[in-house]
Amino acid sequence: MKTKLILTAITTLAAGALYAADVPPVGSAAPDFSAPDANGKTQSLSQYKGKYVVLEWFNPECPFVKKHYGGDNMQKLQAEYTGKGVVWLTIDSNAPGTEGNITPEQAQKIMAQWKTKQTALLLDPESKVAKLYGAKNTPNMVIINPEGKIVYEGAIDSKASPNPADIPSSTNYVKAALDESLAGKPVSNAQTKPYGCSVKYKSS
Amino acid sequence: MRQLSIAALAILFAQSAVAQTYQGKELVKATLLADTSAIVPGKSFSVGLLLRMAPGWHTYWKFSGDAGLPTEIKWKLPPGWKVGEIQWPIPLKTNDPGDIQTYGYQDEILLLQEITPPAKIDISPVKLSAEANWLVCEKICIPGGANLELELPTSTTAEPKNTDLFARYRRLLPQKFPGTNSATANWSRNGNDLHLKVTSDQIANYQNLDFFPVPQGNTVAGHPNVELRKGSEVTFRIPIESPDKNLSAMPGLVVFSKFPNSSDRSAWEIGAPQISTVAKITQPSRGIITFLFFGFIGGFILNLMPCVLPVISLKIFGFIQQAGQSRQRIFRTGLAFTAGIFAWFITLALVLIALKAAGRDATWGGFQFTNAYFVLGLSVIVLVFALNLFGVFEISLPQSLTRGLLASAERKDNLGSFFQGVFATVLATPCTAPFLGSALGFAFTQSAPVILSIFVAIAAGMSAPYFLLSAQPAWMRFLPQPGPWMLHVKQFMGFLLLATLLFLLYVLGAQRGLDGAIWASCFLLIVAIACWMKGAFIVPTASAPKRSFVLLLMLLLLLGSGIYFIADKFQSAKIDTAQANLPGDWQPFTPERLQAERDRGHAVFVDFTAAWCLTCKFNEKSVLESAAVRQAFQRHGVVKLKADWTNGDPAITKLLQQFGRPGVPLYVLYPGKSGEPIVFPELLTKNIVLEKLETIAVASR
Repeated sequence: MKTKLILTAITTLAAGALYAADVPPVGSAAPDFSAPDANGKTQSLSQYKGKYVVLEWFNPECPFVKKHYGGDNMQKLQAEYTGKGVVWLTIDSNAPGTEGNITPEQAQKIMAQWKTKQTALLLDPESKVAKLYGAKNTPNMVIINPEGKIVYEGAIDSKASPNPADIPSSTNYVKAALDESLAGKPVSNAQTKPYGCSVKYKSS
Repeated sequence: MRQLSIAALAILFAQSAVAQTYQGKELVKATLLADTSAIVPGKSFSVGLLLRMAPGWHTYWKFSGDAGLPTEIKWKLPPGWKVGEIQWPIPLKTNDPGDIQTYGYQDEILLLQEITPPAKIDISPVKLSAEANWLVCEKICIPGGANLELELPTSTTAEPKNTDLFARYRRLLPQKFPGTNSATANWSRNGNDLHLKVTSDQIANYQNLDFFPVPQGNTVAGHPNVELRKGSEVTFRIPIESPDKNLSAMPGLVVFSKFPNSSDRSAWEIGAPQISTVAKITQPSRGIITFLFFGFIGGFILNLMPCVLPVISLKIFGFIQQAGQSRQRIFRTGLAFTAGIFAWFITLALVLIALKAAGRDATWGGFQFTNAYFVLGLSVIVLVFALNLFGVFEISLPQSLTRGLLASAERKDNLGSFFQGVFATVLATPCTAPFLGSALGFAFTQSAPVILSIFVAIAAGMSAPYFLLSAQPAWMRFLPQPGPWMLHVKQFMGFLLLATLLFLLYVLGAQRGLDGAIWASCFLLIVAIACWMKGAFIVPTASAPKRSFVLLLMLLLLLGSGIYFIADKFQSAKIDTAQANLPGDWQPFTPERLQAERDRGHAVFVDFTAAWCLTCKFNEKSVLESAAVRQAFQRHGVVKLKADWTNGDPAITKLLQQFGRPGVPLYVLYPGKSGEPIVFPELLTKNIVLEKLETIAVASR
């Protein structure tokens, strides 16, 4: 019995070490970060401890992102859950000179034009936050619970396509995960394969 | 002249390309092409979606990697036309900043598909149209799409067309994984990593080896890498980032090339869906208690099976006879019958455990009904019992044995009941009742104590009604009073047993042909004569030498006919190739045939059946051969294969085990090349089949 426990502990540790280099797995502690938002104010994850936090990777040029903003789908989600006390951080991690990289002014303009409803839009041109979370896609969604643990990561919904017409017939994984979490239930679909454009990291 | 212009127009149409432009720049040009100049009715041909991308831009493979989206093709074909799945040439692997890996195509790609036209085509030319959707990316990504058409004349002969282009991309298609003689692939799971070890002499010839994964469903795979390479052996590590604890394998390509992404790259396809599906099926999600419960219910239901019913009637008749007897005695008889049932199932479990330990292909009925001698033996028992019921002879144990073993007539009764219990269960084995099937399927993958307890649960279920009746004889009041009618009922039961015998002979016929069945019947006739001799001459009134003489004669007759009819004639009876005369549009099953049809992208339905399987026959008559289902199969272009397990074909046994099934019936629908097989319940209904056919039609659209 004891050996079994120790073995389990070792494999869990090994798994943790393995993921640390890549994507922090569901159930692990969300790495803290801080980044300036469109208004120049510094936002950090730790300041929202005790609340549910949604991270949404963003690229205003990406057709998959446009799919969800064009039809008001993303704005509705943002409005609904920020209304329920959830913190929604949209993050643009595209490097300067690549598609989707935006200045604070451009960010403010997009937020006004698109009538976005997130808590804040963070600018991460050095892709630091993206690296911490192993984010590779826009959109890529992460949900963090009040204890600071990741409870969901992956796609926004079930239909990998750039076509807005697919939205009504898709299952929205983020909505499902938030509803379950807010009702105090475990998330049944805690990890999915994100789809979309790639996050444009700086060429090294 | 007019005709000529129409022909010219058709050619123009066939060549029509659709371009995707973005900010005045042409990004992708899409064309639909065929490898033939004309459509020959009933003859398959290939079509290809040709995508020409602007320099630096790429479209994606069926698994796009960390970003992107696979190209989609939706065909709008006239009814009766079939289209296979997309055959994807081996893609290029691209690494972008931020450790982003994608699989796709640059410059130009041809995505091939096989089209099978119906055997009769009334119109010419035929217009085939498809909607293609893709995502094309450079630094940015732009979705594109086109409605494309391909028009071809109908003719009795056709010339190859676009040969160079099709040949170029066919060379880039992955090959099937070679046979076990030249290469082996082994999967293992270690924590969150899958390991794929491939051994082949080919490996030493290539500098560059890679594994391109095709994760299914919501499985998230990390980037595969070569973990170990020496000589003719390579091990890939594929990290699994999603919590798929039970995932034991993953489809994908083992890619060989001189340099990364070189144009001489070749690949072997690892068809892991079978492996991973099997892992899922045999991995019980329900606990042992559930299976014990199913075992109990299944055992109970066995009582209602046509193959057991005659014996059950016998037993009920026995209860009626006892209705006037002492309560204690009834209870003891009931216990003996119950013990007989338990004894048989426990013996079976022990045999099974022993076979499993010996590594044999142990399956339900695998060592029973697929064996002609088992069926023959059962026929003899059934016949002897029937003759006994007719009153041709009485079963009596030798005096000495009776004296020695059985102190009282009561105990003799108990022994009779015990063997009746055994007999009832022997007859029950061909009826893998629905619940019992899943309980047994579970049992075969389990450890010895679990197998034993499941069989005990089945025995408990089957014997429950008798046990209850004998423990609560008050309930027997509801049964009629004994009287002379009992003799008639008894004789009538004999006919039921003869009906069972007919079924067994039918099975023998399916296994050994008409000749085999006739030779077996000859032997049965001699057995019947021997029984009559016993009844007529070996009676207490006859003198001892006369009894011995008749007994000797009986044994000689049995031995002689056994040697002549069975060891010689029956043994050498040609095994009937039942596959030669399959009904309707069914085709004989072979693993190669299944693979070939799936490779062509056809949906395949496999009916695992056997001549002795009544459930199978019922399903076939009432569902599979019904007009609605037959038409649906035809409409969806499903290839129907019949896997006949009457003789215990080892290839079929192996596949049954892969699906965690101990025996037939089993119905599996393979949606196409990469889709996971759909397993149907053992009792089919038209609705279940029609529903599933619709889902694959939607999936392949």
